[in-house]
Amino acid sequence: MPSHTSSSLAARWRRNGVGPWLVLPAAALLAVFVFRPLVRSLQLSTYASDLIGNPTRFVGLDNYTSLLSDPDFLHTVVISVVIALLGMFLATFGALCAVLLLRGRLPGGGIFNVIFSLPFAYSAASASTVFAGLFAPSVGVLNIILGNLGVPGPHWLDSPVAAVWSIAIATAWYEFGFAFLVLTAAVRDVPPEVIEAAQLDGAAGFRLAARILVPIMRPSILFLVVTQTITGLQSFAQIQVLTRGGPAGATTNLVYRMYQLAFGNGTPDFGRASVIAIVLVLIVAVITALQFRLLGREKAA
Amino acid sequence: MISTELRPAPMKPEADAAPSSPHRVHVAGAWAIARFAAVLVFAAIVFLPVYVSFVGAFTPNGEFARSGIVPSPADVTVGNFHEAMTAIPLVREYFVSVGVVTLQTLGQLLTGALAAYALVFPRWRGRKIAFVLVLVTLAIPAESIVIPNYELVSAIGLRNTILGVVIPYVAAGYPVFLLRQAFAAVPTEIWEAARMDGAGDIRALFTIIMPACRPQVTNAVIWSALAAWNGFFWPLLITDTAAARTIQVGISQLAASEAASPAVIFAGAVLVVVPTILLVIFAQRFLINGLTRGVLR
Repeated sequence: MPSHTSSSLAARWRRNGVGPWLVLPAAALLAVFVFRPLVRSLQLSTYASDLIGNPTRFVGLDNYTSLLSDPDFLHTVVISVVIALLGMFLATFGALCAVLLLRGRLPGGGIFNVIFSLPFAYSAASASTVFAGLFAPSVGVLNIILGNLGVPGPHWLDSPVAAVWSIAIATAWYEFGFAFLVLTAAVRDVPPEVIEAAQLDGAAGFRLAARILVPIMRPSILFLVVTQTITGLQSFAQIQVLTRGGPAGATTNLVYRMYQLAFGNGTPDFGRASVIAIVLVLIVAVITALQFRLLGREKAA
Repeated sequence: MISTELRPAPMKPEADAAPSSPHRVHVAGAWAIARFAAVLVFAAIVFLPVYVSFVGAFTPNGEFARSGIVPSPADVTVGNFHEAMTAIPLVREYFVSVGVVTLQTLGQLLTGALAAYALVFPRWRGRKIAFVLVLVTLAIPAESIVIPNYELVSAIGLRNTILGVVIPYVAAGYPVFLLRQAFAAVPTEIWEAARMDGAGDIRALFTIIMPACRPQVTNAVIWSALAAWNGFFWPLLITDTAAARTIQVGISQLAASEAASPAVIFAGAVLVVVPTILLVIFAQRFLINGLTRGVLR
């Protein structure tokens, strides 16, 4: 920022105009609504809270130790990771298969391209709403269809294991759309000479895909693995709409637990909710750092 | 129109192969048929939720149970939409969402363009650090900062208002980043020439730089608008009544209150996704070229 004495300020002003100051609106807003809350969350996480959630007294790391020693909390961490990894894997691997199958000429290829992109049109909330109608017990459309095919459908949201799968499937379905768009762009970026050369060597179909295309598309695949793991860790709408964290806490992930602690029906506990907020920041920071290291290594190699 | 897309298209796999020997014809033909079948099954699975929600929204509740996956066209009804709108004030919430998208997108475009300009053209100390700080915001999960923002927005009296839904997102790191990358690719000579001609910074930005980056600006607008339209966690927390509740929050409540009538839930979901489905159908090529490549570069 321009600073120093008033005369040099005036000189800079003449030379630079208002230019540098144009950063201010965004900088001020990001400071107030992103960086300040981060610091405040850190502060709240070290305070006990009163009956309406306001911080009362400094308790150091008490909130951290009480939460980290709670077996329920460890369960929410595991569930967060399971939902994130399942959703990421189903969406990314599914999209990779779809993109590789669609490569080259295919009757109706354009229509398939649109169909595979459609999930991108759904938000987490609208996809979860659709899946609520699909998974609903007794009236759910999915089990009616499976019943017509002679397959008894599971109780999608009743048993702990099935409920986690249901959340992961709904997550994967709407994330599939974005993954498909990213990988379609990636496969179209593969230089045609490379493919022609591989085909002259006799590589086709599965071998061409596995040996030539997938390695070239690696940066895009890595990008999806990282971003979809991170968004999967932040899953909320699916859980709020489909299970409300149940049955018996089976689908309560970190974000949903934080929501319950801070905004649920009980007395608000901003202190322990903020511990979860900080844990989430740290997890995402570690994954992001890992991504940069992997990408850096890739570029160096 | 939608129901026809599930039916297999006429198969002509042989037309694709350029056979050189009878044996090759067999293998290539079999491979093409297998590939087409795989695509067809895969597409049917991915398309199922779209198909069921659109067809289900226009047929009486329970019709899927009676007549299987293809209900009779004679049963078409708009009753589910009527029921959905009676259960939840969806029309009002629709307008709220349109307002939120408009304000948030304009805000992010304006603050983003100004910041990106300042980060690219004028030279000043701290420019690099400022950009790094913008990048840092991209790695901070939005869920981790809602509690302090909830405190602040409530304290300034904006709880349960459209402004309260929008204000934490009037600036966002990602549009700044997108526009910065776009502006950085504009030759500095163009900017210098504009300044030589006596254009101020604001004029140079809006009459020279922005028009030179039209595709990336459109890209940033689409990203901002999608994020605003799809937002859920924050609007859910900061609103208590339909006065400022967005459509995404509205349909999540519809899913809870109409749990026994999937057809009504589907009608709500259809209302919400129509604008974004049109975007995917008509701007698919743009999404592939712009949105997805923007995130990688």
